[in-house]
This record gives sequence, C-alpha cells and structure tokens, in this order.
Amino acid sequence: MNSNIFSFSAEFGTEAGQGGLRVAIQPNMSCRGWPANAGSKALENFIALEDATVIRLLRQAGARIAGSTHMSELGFGLIRNTGSQAVSENLADVALITDNMGEARIAAARAGLPGFKPSYGIVSRLGLIGLIPSMECWGILARKVSDIKSTMAAICVRDEQDFSMTGNTLPDFTISRPFNETLRVIGVAEGYENNLTKAESVSWEKALSALEQAGFKIEKIRLTDAALFSSVHNVIGAVEASSSAGKYDGVRYGHRASNAGNWNEMYLKSRGESFGTLMKAYLFQGAYFQFKNYVAFENACRIRGRLLDETMRAFSQVNWMASLTIRENRDACKASNITDIYKAFSFTAPANITGLPALQVPGIALCGNMDLGLQITGPPLSDRELLAFGAYLGPEKQGGSAK
Amino acid sequence: MKYEAVIGLEIHVELNTPTKLFCDCPNRPGDAPNVNICPICLWLPGALPRLSQEVLEKAVIACLALNCTIEPESAFDQKVYYYPDLPKGFQLSQHHKPLARNGYLDILVDSRNPRRLGIHHIHLEEDVAKLLHETEDRTPISLVDFNRAGAPLIEIVTEPDMRNPIEAMEFLKVLRTQIRYTGASECSLEKGSMRVDANISIRPQGSSLLNTKVEVKNMNSIQHVGDAIAYEIKRQAECLEKNEPVVLHTRLWDCEKQVTCAMRGKFSGPCVPDPAVPRIVIDDDWLALRKAKLPEMPIQKGERFIASYGLNRDEALIMSQDRELSEFFEKAVRDYLQPRKAANWIAAHLIPALKDQGKSISEIPLTPERFQALLCMQDQDEINANAAREVLLRMLAEDKNPEKIVEERGFRQVSDTDALETIVNRILTDNPSGIQDYKSGNMKVLGFFIGQAMKATQGKANPKVLNELFIKKL
Repeated sequence: MNSNIFSFSAEFGTEAGQGGLRVAIQPNMSCRGWPANAGSKALENFIALEDATVIRLLRQAGARIAGSTHMSELGFGLIRNTGSQAVSENLADVALITDNMGEARIAAARAGLPGFKPSYGIVSRLGLIGLIPSMECWGILARKVSDIKSTMAAICVRDEQDFSMTGNTLPDFTISRPFNETLRVIGVAEGYENNLTKAESVSWEKALSALEQAGFKIEKIRLTDAALFSSVHNVIGAVEASSSAGKYDGVRYGHRASNAGNWNEMYLKSRGESFGTLMKAYLFQGAYFQFKNYVAFENACRIRGRLLDETMRAFSQVNWMASLTIRENRDACKASNITDIYKAFSFTAPANITGLPALQVPGIALCGNMDLGLQITGPPLSDRELLAFGAYLGPEKQGGSAK
Repeated sequence: MKYEAVIGLEIHVELNTPTKLFCDCPNRPGDAPNVNICPICLWLPGALPRLSQEVLEKAVIACLALNCTIEPESAFDQKVYYYPDLPKGFQLSQHHKPLARNGYLDILVDSRNPRRLGIHHIHLEEDVAKLLHETEDRTPISLVDFNRAGAPLIEIVTEPDMRNPIEAMEFLKVLRTQIRYTGASECSLEKGSMRVDANISIRPQGSSLLNTKVEVKNMNSIQHVGDAIAYEIKRQAECLEKNEPVVLHTRLWDCEKQVTCAMRGKFSGPCVPDPAVPRIVIDDDWLALRKAKLPEMPIQKGERFIASYGLNRDEALIMSQDRELSEFFEKAVRDYLQPRKAANWIAAHLIPALKDQGKSISEIPLTPERFQALLCMQDQDEINANAAREVLLRMLAEDKNPEKIVEERGFRQVSDTDALETIVNRILTDNPSGIQDYKSGNMKVLGFFIGQAMKATQGKANPKVLNELFIKKL
C-alpha cells in the first residue's frame, strides 16, 4: 500500500473479480467496514456501515476497489486529493472523485487524463457522503475514455433508494456505437475568449482550430448571465453545504469536544475543532445567507433557473458546448480560500449548476507543454454520446495534429 | 375598554402510519429507547431520505377531511436550528410550498350563529427526537431517544378566526372528529398524538387590527386549551390597562397553577428549500383515487341518519360523532323497526358505560347483532327495561349473547298472571291502609304497590301485567 496515495486499501486478494477494473475511491464513498471520514475530523473514526450503491454495482460488474485515496475536507476542492496519482502511478485504472464544482475534471486535466462528470440523477448518490446535494455527483477519472465508459456501464443503474434520480430513461452505456458524426456543431459562449490569459488564449485557439480541422463547426452562443455562474454556485453551494454539514455535531459520531459545560458549548467546541479553515469559511458563508441574507440566496436560485433555461436554449442550436477545463495560473490543488477556489473552478462549475454531463479531454488545448484541457458539455442525458465523442477526439485520433 | 380576542391555532397531528416519514422504521415512538432507528432517521452520512407514499396518502386524506385544497406541487424545506433533538441541524418541513391550503371547519356553539373557521394551510413535517434530562451521580446528563425522530406529522395552521376559548375548543373537537373518521390519527392531546399551540392577541372590540400575538404551548387536553386561552386573554387585557406593551414571545401553560409563564422569545429560523427530497407532485388521477377513499364524514352521515332512520338532530349528532360507534349503530338497526330506540339506548346506556370503563366500542365483546337481540327481547316483553340495562352492562365484559345472560341470571320477565296474582294478593293483604288511601282517591299508592311487587320478584315482573292486576283487585 502506498500511503502517500492511499489512506486505506484492502488486500487485493479479498476483492472478488480478479482481472476487472481497479477502482480508487475516496473516504466519502461508503465501502462497508472502511474508514469513511470524508477527509474531515468531523467524521473522525467513522466506519461505513453499508456499501454505497455505486460500490455494490462496481463489484457486481467485476471491478475491484483498490483503495481509498486522500481527499479534501468533505470533497470541497482538491487540496490533498490523490485520486489522479492513483491512476497516473498505475495503482488503479479508474479513480472516483466527488465532483461538486469540477474536482474530477480538473484533477484529470492537471494529470493529462480524461475526466467525466455524468448528468445529475443518473448515478445513485446513496452512500456518497456529499456536501452540495443539488450539484454533487460521482466524478470519474481514468487513463482511457473506454474505462470511464465501462465504469458508467456498471454504475448507471436505477436505484429505488435514491429519490433524486431522474425519472427519464437512463443512458445505456452497454451500447457500443461509434460517435455519431452528424453531431458536429459546437457552441462557444460569446465573449469567452475576452477573459483569457495569453497562454489560455493560445490553448483555446489551438483547441478550436483542431476541432475545425476535424470538421466541426464552431458557433457563438449568447449566455447573458454567464459571468454569474461562479457567484450562483458559491451562494447555493455554501447554503447547501451549511445544511449538509449540520449533522456533524458530535452527538452520534465523529469528533466531540471533551470539556464542554453544556450542549450548546459542546456544539460550538466540537464543530469549532472539527472543521478546517476553508470549510469553516464556506459554512459561515452558508449560514450568513441562511440567517442574514436570505434574499441573496433566493436571487441565486432564480438566476440558476435562468442560467439553466439559457443553456437549454443553446442546445437547441448546437450539439455541444466547449471551453477550457482549467485556468493557467490558478492552481486548484493549492487554492485554499473561497475566492481562489471559485476562480480555479470557474470553467467547470457551470455543469454542476446545470446538472449537465461534461467531459475533460486531454491533449487538445495545448500551449507548449501545458495542457489546459478541453471541456465538452452535452445536453441532458447525452452522456453516452459524449463519451463516444471523447473517444473520437482522443489522442489515438487527434494525437498527431495536436502534439 | 371592551376587548375582543383574536385566536389562531397551530395543531400538530401525529399520523398513525406503520412507518416513519422518510424511512421504513416502525412509527412506534413509545418502544424501548432507540430501537426504531436506521441510518436515514439518524441522518448518518451517505443516507438519503425516501418519502413514504403511505404517509403522503394519509396526510392527503386528512387534509381532504378538513376541506382543504391539495396543492398540485409541494416541497420540503429545511428549518434550520441546532438542538440535540434534531439529528441533522434542521427539521424537514414544508414552509414555502405546503401540501394543502384553504380549508375550513364549521362549528355550532350558538345555534343562531353558525361559524365557519378557516384553515390557512396544512403541511407535512417530521417529528424530532425525545430528550431526557437526568442526573448521574449528581452530574446532570441529557439522553436522546431517536424513536420519534422522523415520525410523520401534519401541522394545521388556522386563520385567526376564533374569538373566544369556546370556539377554539369546539374547533378542536370538530377537527378531532373529522381526522379520527379518516383513521389517520387518534388525535389525543392527552397521549400526545395531537399538540396544540395557541396564538392569542387582543384588540378593542370591533377593530380589525392584528396586534402582537403571544404563543401559548403545553396544553394537555382540550379543556386546558380553553383555560389557557381564557387566562391569556385576561392577562393581556390587564397588560393593556396598565399600559404595558404585549411582546411577541412564547408562554407555557401551567395547569397546576392555571397560569401561563413566559418561556422564550419566539423562535424563527431560516427555511431553506431542501435539495435532497424531491418535490411532491400530485396529479388529478391520483387525487381522485384518494378522494374516493375518504369515508362518509360525520355531517353527511348525520343527515343520512335523520333521513333514513328518522332520528332527530341531537340523536343523529350523537350517533355520527364517532366512526366506530356510527357503524355499530347502523349494523344494530339493520332490519330493526325502532332505530330511535336503538339510538336512545346507545346514547343513554352504552356510551356512558363505555366512558366509565375508558374503552371504545371495538374493545368490548358486544356486537351490534347481540345489541339488537337484546332490544328485541325487551320489545317482546321477555325482559323488562331494568333487566335489559343489566344485561347490556354484562355484555360489555362477557362474550355471550343476551339470551344466555338472561337465562344464567334469571332475568326473564314474569308475565304469568297466576304467579303474580299470589304476590299481588299478599301485598294487598299486608297493606290495608294503602287500599283505603287508594279508594279515597290517592292514586300514587298504586306506584307503591307495583314497587313492592317488583321488589318481591327481584325486578322480573312485567310491570304492565302488575298494573292491570292491581287495578282489577282494587
């Protein structure tokens, strides 16, 4: 076991299905008998009581749970996250990273790997110790798009226990049909290029010309409120996080402060000692919007609806939307305050707000040695087609011209 | 100055579904502490709530019984506060989009002034855990029992339509009758399946102001609700007389001292839409099926009793108040020619006896068929009224038909003229002065003679036959 990468791992021998995919998980994904502290002292010594639906389905499909990586506190951001190393160093074929605002896609882009966020509501959240229920999902990072597809084929199954799953027909990942080449119109938000750094512009131009060379048509799409995506995510995300983290009170499990005089004091001390600075700041923000500025929260919800409408309208004109995945000089793995985090995740957070599927494709948006990642977002439930698109764009196809 | 009160009620009713609101745990709060719990109602990390269809259905039927309009779409919000009785830092309730709105109940305190009292809305919410405060070696400790956490409640919020304690009490009685009829809850304040908070303010009579209200809690019976409201009206009037402002706060009713005491400032935390519990969407077809499940309600049933059985309004009201009793009545009068007699026997003898024993009609062995058989025996002079009452009381406890009890106890009425004549003769012989009185016009003495004869036959003689015999002899 490599303790720099895994915080906990089972002996491979005990896992059934030798020869299947090796999957790295995080300690916020319930695997019966494994530590499930979600990277927080608030869940100190908490052991998962049951398997998450996803874990059960993976095993049913013959996958092996290779180990549990290190993770950021409650899966917010990427500090300390070692999911991508588990794959890069070949300790796993696939890493699951909770995607609240783009964590899986950004970790993949930084490692030059494909990374995927499925549509909201097509993978059961039962057993995921989440933070932002309306946006979170199981993100997937892998060496090959085909491994992402196999993983989705295993886990995209209706779960009667998760009432937040979509009522629509789930995408069928067992179908192996090549990319439908008629889906050739790619939308780009109007003015997107204006806010890019020099290196970002180079990468972006390179990605666009590679797409055009491959026969895709680029169309500008007007998204009036695109600049508000990050603020909307911040306000709603903080409020939901504040509620979700409300259960970490030290009464039933997790860290409990030792020398409290009464229960109010016990709450304050336990919670004060449990959360790290970044999480505290986020939870404070959430409580602020809940208790002191509810109007801002209501506005954020309204704007979210508008952003969703606008995005859906865009998909009536185009087949896909494209952007970069990461920012040039915003290191998502070091971002340790809320402003920096939202800047680092500004290209990926929109898909969490809209619930749309998004794929990070490596090897296309390049500036010298630097790969900022090409992010393709698809319409609702287009997940299977999106992965087919990713495979189509993959290095085996585009490698020559991009590198 | 003359004041009038403005009273609104917030009523929590615990639904008697087999499971809790968001999980499959048994909805039995009274079991041994912390046995009816699971990862969902403990809100353990990774658990997801699953709204119970059964709870939704019972809640909807209760709302229909209170004449509410069911909203096509309702949703849960998180009422955020931190307290050890909440396993997750918020309570799931429907603040922004309640299940039902615009209901009412009609009450009749004064027959010249029937009142329709409005219900603003009804929402679903989960109950919280129970806290126990104890001491262990002089150290105060607090224990939490999560059996009740996640139990299903509906909260009924009335319009501020009530003007006095009587109306509030009457409203609660009608509400209890309606909900009990649907079978959704027992609605017992005493047992805690119904909890009532009263919001009270006062204003100069005739004004349409809504002044600062005070919330009163902790009433354990409908009578206490009335007492607490009456006290609070008096207290607020005294405040105003003394020029003390009424401030928004919560008071507790102390039924020993018969006063309300200030408890805390009224709490109001934020209510944030919950992203984890999907919206409740109710379509017309689903609702139509639930409407069909709504039983005939007491008012309609009472009207039918008047029309079909010739009961008067009071009799019909009593026969329709309790669903089980109304069904008992209807079965008892099937093919029976004197439904009013049956109603009067139920009202005069059966209901008081049940009340004495603290039992409901379903908890005793008496069946409607046996009850009818008893009435028939009396109709046919096989037993007299006293004996019939006696047999009825026995049938409350003994699983036997009335014929058997009559035989066992020797209650059969003696109508045999020969047998009675001997007794009549003896009584007349023993009371020569009585005969004198009768002959000089004192008819009352006849009653005395009959009483003596009843005593001699241990109440079994047919009074009609006795009457005839005495008159003949005298």
